Amino acid sequence: MAEAEKTPADSVVFPTYASIYRPGQSVYDEMCSEPGVLRPHWQALVSSLEAMGLEELERRGVEVQRLLQDNGVTYNVYDDPRDAQRPWEVDPIPLLMAEAEWASIEEGLEQRSRLLNLLLTDLYGPRTVIRHGLLPPELVFTHPGFLRPCFHTLTAGQRWLITHAVDLGRTPDGRFWALGDRTQSPAGAGYALETRIIMARAMPKLYRDAPLRRLAGFLEAERATLAGLAHHNQEHPHVVLLTPGPLNANYFEHAYLANYLSLSLVEGEDLAVRDGRVWLKTLGGLRPVDVILRRVTDEYCDPLELRGDSLVGTPGLLQAVRSGGVAVANPLGGGIVENPGLLAFLPTLCRQLLGEDLRLPSVDTWWCGQAESHDYVESHLEELVIRSILPGSERYVGATLNETARTGLLERIRAAPHMYVGQASLSLSTAPCLEQGSLVPRPVLLRGYSVAVEDGYRVMPGALVRVSPGLDDLRVSLRKGGISKDLWVLAPTPQKHISLLRQAYGPIVATRDGADLPSRVADNLYWLGRYCERLDSSMRLVREALGQFLELQEQDNANTCLDMLLDALGVSEHASVGSRRSRFFAIRRQLLIMLTAPEWAGSLPHTLAGMLRTGRAVRDHLGEDSWRILNRLQQAILRIAPTFKARETRESLGDCLVLSAAFAGLNNETIPHHYGWRFLDIGRYLERVLTTLDLFKLAFVNTKNSGVPLWEVVLSTTDNLTAYRRRYRSALHPTAIVDLLLFDEGNPRSVGYQLRRLKDQIARLPHKQDTPYRSAEERLILEAVSILQLADIELLSALEHSRRSNEELMRLLDELYRPLNTLSDAMTHSHFSHAEVPRQLITMMQ
Amino acid sequence: MDYLVTHRTIYTYSGVVALCHNEARLLPRRLPWQRCADSRIEVHPRPALQLERLDFFGNRVLYFGIQDIHQELEVAVKTRVRVSGRPLSDQPYDRSWEAVRQALWQDPDPEIIEARQFVLNSPFVPATNRLIEYVRDSFTAGRPLLEAVNDLNHRIHEDFTFDPHFTTLATPLEEVLESRRGVCQDFAHLGIGCLRSLGLAARYVSGYLETVPPPGQPRLVGADASHAWLAVYLPGMGWVEFDPTNDCLPGEQHITLAWGRDYSDVAPLKGVMSGGGAHSLQVAVDVEPLPKSLQDTGGEELLFASDNDQD
Repeated sequence: MAEAEKTPADSVVFPTYASIYRPGQSVYDEMCSEPGVLRPHWQALVSSLEAMGLEELERRGVEVQRLLQDNGVTYNVYDDPRDAQRPWEVDPIPLLMAEAEWASIEEGLEQRSRLLNLLLTDLYGPRTVIRHGLLPPELVFTHPGFLRPCFHTLTAGQRWLITHAVDLGRTPDGRFWALGDRTQSPAGAGYALETRIIMARAMPKLYRDAPLRRLAGFLEAERATLAGLAHHNQEHPHVVLLTPGPLNANYFEHAYLANYLSLSLVEGEDLAVRDGRVWLKTLGGLRPVDVILRRVTDEYCDPLELRGDSLVGTPGLLQAVRSGGVAVANPLGGGIVENPGLLAFLPTLCRQLLGEDLRLPSVDTWWCGQAESHDYVESHLEELVIRSILPGSERYVGATLNETARTGLLERIRAAPHMYVGQASLSLSTAPCLEQGSLVPRPVLLRGYSVAVEDGYRVMPGALVRVSPGLDDLRVSLRKGGISKDLWVLAPTPQKHISLLRQAYGPIVATRDGADLPSRVADNLYWLGRYCERLDSSMRLVREALGQFLELQEQDNANTCLDMLLDALGVSEHASVGSRRSRFFAIRRQLLIMLTAPEWAGSLPHTLAGMLRTGRAVRDHLGEDSWRILNRLQQAILRIAPTFKARETRESLGDCLVLSAAFAGLNNETIPHHYGWRFLDIGRYLERVLTTLDLFKLAFVNTKNSGVPLWEVVLSTTDNLTAYRRRYRSALHPTAIVDLLLFDEGNPRSVGYQLRRLKDQIARLPHKQDTPYRSAEERLILEAVSILQLADIELLSALEHSRRSNEELMRLLDELYRPLNTLSDAMTHSHFSHAEVPRQLITMMQ
Repeated sequence: MDYLVTHRTIYTYSGVVALCHNEARLLPRRLPWQRCADSRIEVHPRPALQLERLDFFGNRVLYFGIQDIHQELEVAVKTRVRVSGRPLSDQPYDRSWEAVRQALWQDPDPEIIEARQFVLNSPFVPATNRLIEYVRDSFTAGRPLLEAVNDLNHRIHEDFTFDPHFTTLATPLEEVLESRRGVCQDFAHLGIGCLRSLGLAARYVSGYLETVPPPGQPRLVGADASHAWLAVYLPGMGWVEFDPTNDCLPGEQHITLAWGRDYSDVAPLKGVMSGGGAHSLQVAVDVEPLPKSLQDTGGEELLFASDNDQD
């Protein structure tokens, strides 16, 4: 067993866990068989943890949380508009499961997967279970998971249910019960894996030597099964993970699993069906897809057949499945066996279909579609939890309903009894959790996973453990979040740690990610580059404005620089008239909007949101460290509050600028310099050149009293003050500034450099084949470069005193804007045209 | 009767369509009382892939995917059909509607169990109290089912005005009931809703009806339209059809295309395309009775050479 992470001083005596932990009397506790008495399989772990001490354990808990946050382990909360993403929380004390105990769960899960697989093939084929009266037709035909178009697409004799999850709870008598099945696109295995990895990082010694079963083998089996589903390219099948996108609650997991299992992460719009096969739209054209790991509810996968009122998904997908062009896991239509009403019939079905007794019992369930069950539910409402059989429906705890709610519910059941079930209300087992330096018992719920393998089903030796926040609150739901734990399935001896990432799976074809980049990813990378640069330049402007604002506080002068900066930020509300006091407050208000108002387009939080949105959409293309920096940048910007002092805010912005530079720099260093990186870079430099032109216009053309202070601001917001000083040392001279910022191609902050870089990058983008001509974006950037190179520098050299010179600069800027403003649209048209929305011929009301 | 049915649909788009996937239920069902020769299917532009299959309800579905850039889609299906009288309509059946309902719920016969899916709500036909109110007058206690359905069929015909300009696909049944107007599709949905609200099994049938021109006038080609009616399930007897739009029992003039829970299961042409913009639609249906002489001399073997009766 593991030794303690840190040997405490001998003089300190730690309280034993058994003495400070007080489990409830009427529930099963996972750690203690009775108060003060540890279960045998916990003893080794507990003595290691006791040796570590509660304080140290708490410190490790904080470390775990920090790692989770840094890695961006989040889930999106639909009903929380303020903060759509919440960090995943993990309690540092693992939950232990003895070997023998787990073996019986394993058997139960394996049998259940076999059973549901058979049921699925029967329901989409001969429907003998209905015809022979084993399953009432009302239970199947009213459930939205029964998709008639999928009829005959799941032929008998094959394994269709590929991944399966079961929610498990333990009652006071120590028995485990299945609370429900997930067969649509079972979520959570990725969270369980990441929880394990992070816990192992925070407590390396404890984990290295622990006799616990590892998870990697299970995921390797899943990867192999998916690859084996391919009908085409069986040597090197192209397997993709289909996600609803970054707004989905489990998007983190989708990106994580895609990376871990080496799958392409795609959305429905990235795919097209042609010639009965599925293709991924990439920069280099269409690339065939052989297997789809589906994380999208099946109804939303094919607007042609599955939902007449929907436009999301891939039209023709089901037909491609039917004609054997693609394999989908889990199969379309698989949601039907999630129906909670089925739980009441599983024992009979198991005997009839498998000839076996159901090993893992389901929570007692009464389906109201049968008169006796309906009567039972009505007369035992206080003891039951009532829910509709529809997916994601609310649960009503009978005991907590008031008279009105009770009557209303009973009426709804009577109107459509086949749509409701009553289920026994379980008191779940508890496990110790660390809270405020103490150990408290909290109810836990397990989600176990199985995957189809050659000879049956393989069960993951671990689970997603969810902890309910309060003793009485049994609504433990993945969607609503909560706290998780690592589940240790104990093994007789320490097990080797294996990670899929370090393993090769047989022969591999060397590839350089290039033209097979999905167009949508290219689009998001381009916009990530733009938002990133936009945030950077806005922060520089705000920081400069804060500096000027501080000067204004000290001395009252008409500060034209501040006006120019507010103009550049797009929040100007000229307050030069009026008293000094009113002007002061007007400027303060404008700066606050820029700093803290996410609803204001162009404010820092607003731009940050765009950056995060596009960043999340290409999560699997950003390095771990880039992602960590992005998370810190988010925290740093959102921390700025109206209560901050100007000086303090200015310093925070300095820190933010460092993070934003680190993000850009790291991307440059870690993303392979292929197409993806080029799109990021083009976004970044296109944004920068437009911002630089804007700034020029404001400082040299639009302003009435141009002069030294303004030029200084231009140099410092473009981070060029040092370069200028080193080169010219002397006082500021506009002609020199124009040269440094417009023409000097060696200066990364100059328009000349930026245009050249754009030209180089655009020239290396994928080309349309069979055409010798330049693309629209090539022509536009060539135009911009020529305009700058042909500019009359002589004429511009008298900016201080010649009106003509000023006019010439204005003309030059306007000419440059023209091609650059249309460049973005041209890029979209040439490379991101996937954005085309499908349309229905007729609209079905549903 | 023998007919040549032609159903032509043309979609014209304001923009170009680069890719589209479609499903047509335009091939008539093969039934004991309806024999069909092979259909002539013409789709322009030519589909890259075209497949026929049977759907969940046994309807013939034609899938086709078009991968050529186009601004107009034309689908024309021509089928030669021979319809004879429905085999069931003359047998006596005097069970009361309550007895029928009870049999539906208690009889373990697999066919009867399967028919129960047609008692449940469907996308276009939700059960409502208003429907029960309306149907009560026909379904008095102990009344034989067939008599009651006949009465309902007659009342719908009497109470409702055929008005092709009032309803659309999206008009809810409640509104049809309220305004007492609609087209054949609405009346079929209404009849189905009434029967289901009593716990009886009813399904939607789509098809064509031969229209006879007023005496002395020539038959107008392409002036016909798709038609719809309903069927009710009688344990021990099977499905019996009713046409509330015409207050009659479907006979040799009713050509069956497809059936399902309601319109949503049998829409003649569905499709999803990328691009296209706004579109306009032209549909022309022609049900041409084949002259007696042709029937007699044509030779059945030749006309229905590839017919293989199913269902």
